[in-house]
Amino acid sequence: MFDAFIEGLFLVLQWKAFSLMLVGMGLGFCVGLLPGIGGAATLALMIPFVFKMQPAEAFAFLLGMHAVAATTGDITSVLFGVPGEAISAATVVDGHPMAKNGEAGRALGAALMSSLVGALIGAVALALAIPIVRPLVLAFGSPELFMLAVIGISCITSLSGAGARGQIKGFAMGLFGLLVSTIGQERQSGSLRFDMGMMYLWDGLDFVPVLVGVFAIPEIIDLTVRGTSIAGERPAEKLSSGVMEGIKDTFRHFWLVFRCSVVGVFVGILPGAGGGVAQWMAYAHAVQGAKDAADRERFGKGDVRGVLGPGAANNSKEGGELIPTVAFGVPGSGAMAILLSAFLIMGLSPGPDMLTKHLPITFSMVWTLVIANIIAVLLCLTVLDQLAKVTNVRGGLIIPFVLLLVFVGSYTANGQITDLIVTLIFGVLSYFMVLFGWPRPPFVLGFVLGKVIETYFFISVARYGFTWLRQPMVVALIILMLFVIAYPYIQQRRQRAQRISNA
Amino acid sequence: MRSGRILFCVFLIFVAAAAIYMALEWPFKAALFPLSVSIPLLILAGIQLLQLIAGKQEIIESAAVDLEFSSEVPPEIERRRVITAFSWIAGFILTVYLIGFPLTVPLFVCFYLRFESGVGALPTIAATAITWAMFYGLFQKLVHLQFEEGMLQAWLGL
Repeated sequence: MFDAFIEGLFLVLQWKAFSLMLVGMGLGFCVGLLPGIGGAATLALMIPFVFKMQPAEAFAFLLGMHAVAATTGDITSVLFGVPGEAISAATVVDGHPMAKNGEAGRALGAALMSSLVGALIGAVALALAIPIVRPLVLAFGSPELFMLAVIGISCITSLSGAGARGQIKGFAMGLFGLLVSTIGQERQSGSLRFDMGMMYLWDGLDFVPVLVGVFAIPEIIDLTVRGTSIAGERPAEKLSSGVMEGIKDTFRHFWLVFRCSVVGVFVGILPGAGGGVAQWMAYAHAVQGAKDAADRERFGKGDVRGVLGPGAANNSKEGGELIPTVAFGVPGSGAMAILLSAFLIMGLSPGPDMLTKHLPITFSMVWTLVIANIIAVLLCLTVLDQLAKVTNVRGGLIIPFVLLLVFVGSYTANGQITDLIVTLIFGVLSYFMVLFGWPRPPFVLGFVLGKVIETYFFISVARYGFTWLRQPMVVALIILMLFVIAYPYIQQRRQRAQRISNA
Repeated sequence: MRSGRILFCVFLIFVAAAAIYMALEWPFKAALFPLSVSIPLLILAGIQLLQLIAGKQEIIESAAVDLEFSSEVPPEIERRRVITAFSWIAGFILTVYLIGFPLTVPLFVCFYLRFESGVGALPTIAATAITWAMFYGLFQKLVHLQFEEGMLQAWLGL
């Protein structure tokens, strides 16, 4: 085992594999910055280039690219409020307000360092979990995946404002998101729902145009209204110290970063749970960690913990997703499904062989994740000073380029002008949500999880009737869900009791 | 602002009611999920509307975990700038529809920088050229994104 571990390292460090990894990282860096063209799309575009490569070279190239795309996706989220990838939307909620508060360097430092820590934890999990992951994955059937998605939805309580009215608005937005996710063909009966006679809606709404509209358009409008730079009239941050502060924040809140990384790994391991779930669950977990109501109020206004949690989960899930892909040939996401085709091109069959005969190649993937992330973060840290200066450029000079990024990204979803119209519609809707104080994160959570919930619910009922509700793992997850829902209320009561005793 | 809040609640109620009305026509499996989310949505939006009509003040406690718009600009100017920004966005989409993405990109950057941001002619031309070159090189040559041609080109048979 140890020999294979070291052999895996040497496979990555061979000059050809290492050079290809650097090329992949360069590509990943660029596409990570472009909204819409996510890691999965780039993997698909690059698959034809791996035919003549050795397995370790091909995985160094592909995984190097994929790992870096996930990391740099946070950069546009922080600087412009435009999610670099649909799944990295949670970073926007606190990352961009930090940039507006003149703390872009700190936010980027925190996002990148937490991404690195998350990626390392994900890689370690991949290395350690391969021999023991089988029972965990097999224990999670459709009822458990359904319950996991419901737990994701129950995070709404943490993402909504405190108090009864805040919760009403939060749950209403979550339900609205779930309702929007039902647009398109229903998978069980094949009926068309809310399609308005448009073929575009048959497949449902794609994540990218909706999420880009929801997060980017209100930010662009706000920037236009203010007529200043992103950081406003605030003096330019001393960037290098800001970045260092962000890095220190990662270690100040290391326990939070660690917990959110574990959330990312766990969600990544479960095929079909969806990458977006990991980030939002991590964000909700960070909000739950607030000490009191005043501390909680800081989230959404530029709290570094809101950047650290999603950043860590976003990258740790990459290692998690690789676990079922390598061990069983069950891809954990769209990107992993494409990576699976690379296995077949290389003549490798995922499964027991990857844990015995081809163990060095499996470990080379672990090393690629580690090395690519370390190099990417170090490189990013050297250019962050320049990147963060963008927040001090006059808004009027940035807006046309950000709008181009937004709409080209949105267009990549289906290659139709309707994608742009969807972005505009959800942008207008999101503008009014922000204006009238209806929270957007619960809407996004509902929209992302809606299809997962409905699909797994019907599969569970078709397979088990309603007896699945009595399965031990499901019961445990129901209890966990109740705890997640009740936690903010428990926290409030505890704080009230503490205030009374202090008085 | 209060009337806007009421209108947003009415919008949510309308969406939920329309969803329920449509879902009643569908087979059970297709209707179950939309019904089970739109009915509580209708109720919650209804409660919120009643609270607004009853004139209950927004409690500070209920602030959302989300972005807040800056309030440093006078409302009149704010409204005008919001309309201007949305007009540029709508204009961009309309231009893409008419002449396609590749031609819209340089035109949009040029017009926005010159007329909205008040940038000088030379920097505008330079920024437009660089943007177009990056758009062409990255999206068309490297990533091979296929952009639909505009309606004008289709009508004129170009």
